[in-house]
Amino acid sequence: MIIPVRCFTCGKLIGDKWETFSQRVRAGDRAQKVLDELGLRRYCCRRMMITHVEIIDEFLRFSQVTARRRSEIV
Amino acid sequence: MDIKILTREPETLRFILSDASTAFANALRRIMISEVPIMAIDDVMVLENNSVMYDEILAHRLGLVPVTTDQSYNLPEECSCKSELGCEKCRASLSLEIEASEASEVVYSSQLKPENPDVRPVSDKIPIVKLTQGQRIKLEAYARLGRGRVHAKWQPVSAATYSYDPKTRTFNFLVESTGTLPPEKLVLQAARIISQKTLGFEEGLGGIGQN
Repeated sequence: MIIPVRCFTCGKLIGDKWETFSQRVRAGDRAQKVLDELGLRRYCCRRMMITHVEIIDEFLRFSQVTARRRSEIV
Repeated sequence: MDIKILTREPETLRFILSDASTAFANALRRIMISEVPIMAIDDVMVLENNSVMYDEILAHRLGLVPVTTDQSYNLPEECSCKSELGCEKCRASLSLEIEASEASEVVYSSQLKPENPDVRPVSDKIPIVKLTQGQRIKLEAYARLGRGRVHAKWQPVSAATYSYDPKTRTFNFLVESTGTLPPEKLVLQAARIISQKTLGFEEGLGGIGQN
């Protein structure tokens, strides 16, 4: 849903590194290089970034639509 | 016993331990993982929350946010207040109040307002939740001291490992802190805990030795 605060396996803080990671990878940087530069050395922390799917924005869209419909009914 | 520091970074420490037994090296490592007390958010009073995230998930995420540790606090089970809620000697509060004015707004750990500046989130950029226009969150979170054996959020290290070199008979240690306490302080605290435990053991044996 949203990036986890810590790595599931070792407990390292990863939440604060997600935005840099996703922006740089989207801009065309190699994920391997970005992960190395963020200091994510172990593969447990690296998979947290590589496999994450950020879907909270879709939840927000749903709640916007329901809020609008509710106001139309009233 | 001898310690030689190899590298020292804000969150990681590498050192070589020599003239020690494997039992001691492993005790030091395990105590760093599960016995050194650090602070973490433990109780969250949610006053308002109409975000897309349930109160429980929000509280769980807050619990995992590493906060800096002020060691002058008491462990809740040892505090004289004996209260479930705690007193100012065994808990530090952090409050969060925010209402989104835009279509998409990220709530960051920097928006948690600490009561005590020594107990604050380690990083300012941890996303906690995302809000859309009109969604509100109002809560008060209480951070307490605790140990890693109770919950991983109180684990002060994300890595505490060693490798044994049979040639030189030394232990090559790596200690990576989550940021709540500097790694060298963790090693020192762990050593103190070992010595306290040993003293306690000796006291327990005292009666038997005299007979």
